[in-house]
Amino acid sequence: MSAVAAPSLLDQPEMRFPLDLSVRIPKIRELYRTAIKNQWDPQTAVAWDELDLSDKTPEQLWAARLYWSRRAWGEYGAISESPALQIRFCQERHPPDMRFFFTIRTQEESRHAEVCYLMAEKLGGYVKEPVQSAFQGSVSTHGVRKMALDPAITLEAIVASLVCAAEEIAFDVFEHLIAITTNPVANKVLRLIMRDEVRHCAFGWAYMERRAPELSKAELRIVEDAVVTMIEKVELNGYHSAWLAPDNPASRAEVEADRVTYEAGLGATIEKLEAPVFVASVKRIRKQMEPWGITLKPFFHPKLGTI
Amino acid sequence: MTTATAERLKRRRSPPLVERRFPLHLEPKFVSIRALYEQAKKGRWDPERHIPWKSFDRTAYPTKALDAAALAWSRRAWTEYGGMPETPAILIRICLEHNGESDPKMFLTVRGTEEAWHVECCWRFAELAGGYRQAPASPEYAELFNQGFHRKAFDPGVSVDAYIAAHVAVQDGIDLELYRSHLRHATDPVATAILKRLVTDKERHVAFGWVYLTERAKEWTAAMRDEVTGEIEHVIGDLELNGYHCAWLAPNDVAAEIVAADEAARAAGLGASSVAEESAVLKQWFAEARTAFAGLGITLRRFSHRRLGEV
Repeated sequence: MSAVAAPSLLDQPEMRFPLDLSVRIPKIRELYRTAIKNQWDPQTAVAWDELDLSDKTPEQLWAARLYWSRRAWGEYGAISESPALQIRFCQERHPPDMRFFFTIRTQEESRHAEVCYLMAEKLGGYVKEPVQSAFQGSVSTHGVRKMALDPAITLEAIVASLVCAAEEIAFDVFEHLIAITTNPVANKVLRLIMRDEVRHCAFGWAYMERRAPELSKAELRIVEDAVVTMIEKVELNGYHSAWLAPDNPASRAEVEADRVTYEAGLGATIEKLEAPVFVASVKRIRKQMEPWGITLKPFFHPKLGTI
Repeated sequence: MTTATAERLKRRRSPPLVERRFPLHLEPKFVSIRALYEQAKKGRWDPERHIPWKSFDRTAYPTKALDAAALAWSRRAWTEYGGMPETPAILIRICLEHNGESDPKMFLTVRGTEEAWHVECCWRFAELAGGYRQAPASPEYAELFNQGFHRKAFDPGVSVDAYIAAHVAVQDGIDLELYRSHLRHATDPVATAILKRLVTDKERHVAFGWVYLTERAKEWTAAMRDEVTGEIEHVIGDLELNGYHCAWLAPNDVAAEIVAADEAARAAGLGASSVAEESAVLKQWFAEARTAFAGLGITLRRFSHRRLGEV
C-alpha cells in the first residue's frame, strides 16, 4: 500500500546489490560534474538591489508579479514530481550516472522555484495561487509522478516525451525570452535558469542516444506515441504557452498578463513572437528524433496551422 | 480511544493521497529549517575539486590496510546509497501531505545532492584504496540493506513524523556520531578531507530532523506519540541493533569481514573506528537521544544486545 496510486514500482522490493557506481554513460556523468561546478544561490547570484522599477506602472508590476509567480508554480511542479524519476532510476537500477545527475537536477528545480519566487516578491509580492481557478489545471502537473512510478510506462517513453519534447520546447522559449527581456535583473534570472535547463535537456538526449539503438520497433512506437501525446495534448493545449490553450477567461487573463509583462521588459512573451519559436522547436525535435527511427506525425493547431 | 495501530490501518485503507498544490507557499515558515537550507547552499562543495584525491599515497600503507580500507569504504557507499532513493521519496511524501511549509521541501532537495556526493566520495576512496566492491560477501548481511526506505516513506501507515523521528533523528543521528568518530581517528589526508565534508553535511541533516520534530511535536496526540515511539523502537531494535550501521552488531557474525576491515582501516588511520570506539559512540548516542526524545514527550524503552549490553 502506498501514498501514491497502485500498482506502482513501489510494490517491488528493493534489490540493492550488486551496487554499481561506476561511469556507464560518460556524457551524463559529465553533466553531473558540470552541474556541481555551476551551482548558484538565488539569494546571492542576482543583484537584487539593482532592480529598478521606478518607471513601471502598477498594472505592469501586477502583471509581472503574476507572471513570475506562475513561473514559480511551474518550477515547483518539478520539485514535487520529478524526484519520482530518481526513485525509478534506483528501483530499476538504471545506470548510476542517471541517479547521480538527478539528485542535483532536483536541487536545481528548487533554485528555480526560489529565484522566481524572489523575483515576484521584489516586484511587489509573490501570488500564492491562480487568480482564476481554471488556471489550476493548466499549471499543476503533467503527471510525471504517476508516469514515473508506473512500471507499465517505459522509461524511454517518459524521458523522450518529458525531456526531449516538453523540456526542449521550454528551453527554446527560454532562449527566446532571454533575447527579448530588457530588464537586466529579469534577464539575469532567466539566464541563470537556462544555464541549468541546458543540462536537463542534454540529459534526455544523452540517455536516448544510448537507449534508442537498443529498442525494438514496437518499443520505439511506444516512445513515439508518448512524444506525440506530449506535444498534442500537453504543449499544444497551452501547458507552457497560454495563447495555445483553449479560449477561456483564465487563458485570456494569462495572455494579457504576459503581454503587459513583455511590454515592460520584465519577462514573458507574446503569441506573435513565440509562435515561430514554438514551430521551429517542434520541427527541430522531429529532426533530432529521426536517427532513433521515429518520425513524428504532422501536428495541427488553429493558431499555428500544420507543423 | 484511537490507538496508533488503528490510526495506521485507517490511513492504509484511505484512498491514495492527492496533492493540493494551491495555495502554494514558498515563503519561509520554519525559519530554522530555512536557515539550514541557506547554510547548505552557502556550504556547497564539489567532490572533484574539494577532495585532494591526487595526494593519496598508496605507498604509505601495507596492502592489507589498503584492502581493508577498500572494503570499509565500499560498505560505507552501500549504506550512504540508501539516501538516493529515500530522500526523493520523503520529499514527494511531504509535498503530498502538507500544503504549507516549503522549507523542508527545499532543504530536502539539497540533502539529496549531498547524499549523492557522499556516495561518490566513498566509492572513489574505495577505488583508490584498492577497488570498490559491489556487494557484501554474505547474502544474509546484504539482505540487511534491502530495507526499501523509499517504499516505507510512501507508506501511509507510517506518518511523516514517525518516519523522520526514526530514520532521520535516530538513524542519521547514529550515522553522524559514527562519522565523527571516524574523523577523530583518521590520519590520512584524503580520508580526513572526505570525512570533514560528510560530517558537516550530516550535521545539517540531523539538525533538520530535530528541528522538524520539535515543530511538529506541538501538535502530537497520545496516539501520534505512540506511533512515533513504535517506529523508533522498530528501527533501533530491528535495524541498528542488527548491524545496519555497526557491522559488529549483526547476528551470527555475518559481517565479520566488514568488522575486520573496519578495525584494520582504523589502525592505519584510513577513516574508520574500532568496535570499542563504536560501542562508546552508541552508548553516548543512546543517552543523549533518550533525553532529547523525552523533551518531545517520547519515552524510549531500554534495549539490550549481547555485544553492546543494555542501552
